[in-house]
Amino acid sequence: MTAEPLRAENLRKIYTVKGAPPVEALSGVSMAVHPGERVALLGRNGAGKTTFLRIASTLLRPTSGTIEVFGYDVDAVPERARPYIAVVPQEGKPFFHLCPREQIYTYLRARGLSRETAKSRTEESLVRMGLTEVADRLAITLSGGQRQRTMVATVIATQAPLLFLDEPTIGMDPFARREVWASLRDLTTKGSTILLTTHYLDEAEALSHRLYIVERGRVIVTGTADELKRSVGGTLKVVLPGAAGRASEFASFGETVPDGGTLTVIVAPERLGELMDLAVRSHLTATVGPVTLEEAFLRVVGRKIDEE
Amino acid sequence: MRSEIATTRAFGGTAAFLWTEVLVQAHEELAMATAMVTQVVLLVFVYILAPSLIGVALVGSVVFSTFTLGQRVLNEAAYIRIDHKATDLYLAGPMTAEGYFLGMAVGILVVYLPPVAILGALTVLVAHLSVATALLLFGLSGVVWLFAASIGYIFSTFFRDNRAIWAYASLFFNVFGVLPPVFYPFGYFPAYLRPVALLMPPSAAAALVQSRLGATVLSTGETWLAVVGLAVETTGLFVFAAYWARRTVRGA
Ligand SMILES: Nc1ncnc2c1ncn2[C@@H]1O[C@H](COP(=O)(O)OP(=O)(O)OP(=O)(O)O)[C@@H](O)[C@H]1O
Ligand SMILES: [Mg+2]
Repeated sequence: MTAEPLRAENLRKIYTVKGAPPVEALSGVSMAVHPGERVALLGRNGAGKTTFLRIASTLLRPTSGTIEVFGYDVDAVPERARPYIAVVPQEGKPFFHLCPREQIYTYLRARGLSRETAKSRTEESLVRMGLTEVADRLAITLSGGQRQRTMVATVIATQAPLLFLDEPTIGMDPFARREVWASLRDLTTKGSTILLTTHYLDEAEALSHRLYIVERGRVIVTGTADELKRSVGGTLKVVLPGAAGRASEFASFGETVPDGGTLTVIVAPERLGELMDLAVRSHLTATVGPVTLEEAFLRVVGRKIDEE
Repeated sequence: MRSEIATTRAFGGTAAFLWTEVLVQAHEELAMATAMVTQVVLLVFVYILAPSLIGVALVGSVVFSTFTLGQRVLNEAAYIRIDHKATDLYLAGPMTAEGYFLGMAVGILVVYLPPVAILGALTVLVAHLSVATALLLFGLSGVVWLFAASIGYIFSTFFRDNRAIWAYASLFFNVFGVLPPVFYPFGYFPAYLRPVALLMPPSAAAALVQSRLGATVLSTGETWLAVVGLAVETTGLFVFAAYWARRTVRGA
């Protein structure tokens, strides 16, 4: 059987809250994650990312819709799906009275791995996540980022077929984040599949094959980071200081964003020459750079907010 | 990839989580001492006020000790679920929820066994327990532990905030462990309330040991009520706790 690692169809979740109106956290989310993919789930605070991840990882029941992990209905037979998955929960913490080495090893043993496998995976994971120096110190003495590394190291060491990571790199320094990225890339080359959430858009870009943007419980965009950037009119941006008042002259090139006195124009590479000519003729200085995923995200989600 | 993975057998992961919990709890030396405070204080009171009852009180202190381990299970289960997201980490995976519950309960028992053993040894010596009576005491204390651990775990799932637990947990375990005839002779309890006491595992266990010691006279009916009550309540609650552990992995 070649079932998708994850497939969701029209998933809805309504939280009932005592003494307050119910909260519709997911309003019909459909998505699929293919074998060996790294997929990022993006969206503003409260968009529904954690809700989706918790339902997918058998920790929360959906209100309606279907969701399957490797072909197993997560709602009907969660215990069939569980052996395939591992989760880094949002705001999870290692046991304060365990050392990272103990935490990872005992966790792997609790998942049923043999002593030898658990031991070698533990050591490998400690090295990978830069935890060797603190491996035998109680987690209570570790820094916030070191604790988060321990959480990620614990879950990565499982090499589970499907990993859910909810803001796995929160509080990590740029080096540690890159270690996580490298480890996750490694895992997918070994056959695992990954769904993660992050508010670091550079991370989503560096790491994911595809992304979904969720806004108010709905998927509003899906595709690659490049596709998302092109959807806002181009992959390059031209920054024109002092040109904020002249947006109309540049409007034909793509989206224009005045910010203070500066005008930013998002442009497709093939029209860059033309735009630069106009800038020179208008005696403007121009800086060209790539559109970042963060800028594309702000535009796309911003548009959606304006519409509503 | 799918075909490689089998479903987990019932109680899978118990031993590994037991060990985890032992490592975690063993770092709390002070907690081991404080687990004995109530018992020792009550024993001192009895020793001063009614020295002839010290044997009965010692028996009660052993039963009470394993009973209050349920409170540790309650606190630990709620704390690691709420503050550490341990259930998310451990139970969204092949480990079973009932293994998580039982592993935690036994782990806590193992760590707190030394202080209980000290009280147990003291009881055997001071109350001159025969081997059979000692075994009865320890066996019944084990039953009481299983009952309390099950109730502790079940209760833990109802809390969303650890602060709320502080108010309720000690209340529950003190009321059911101190108020009924656990530390004092069963015969001192109002006659019309006796069946109630015999249906509460800590006082039922204490009464059975007291009766063997000759400190209390139980009718045949009362003995049966205590024995059957303990067996049914403990088995029922343990089975329910295992079911409930599974049931509550997923929030609504
Ligand atoms: N237990 C709950 N009860 C009621 N409402 C909830 C509950 N959990 C989440 N919500 C609501 O559901 C919506 C989605 O929350 P969710 O945690 O999925 O967001 P998120 O995208 O993960 O946000 P963040 O980026 O802040 O982590 C929010 O409006 C939130 O307030
Ligand atoms: Mg979240």
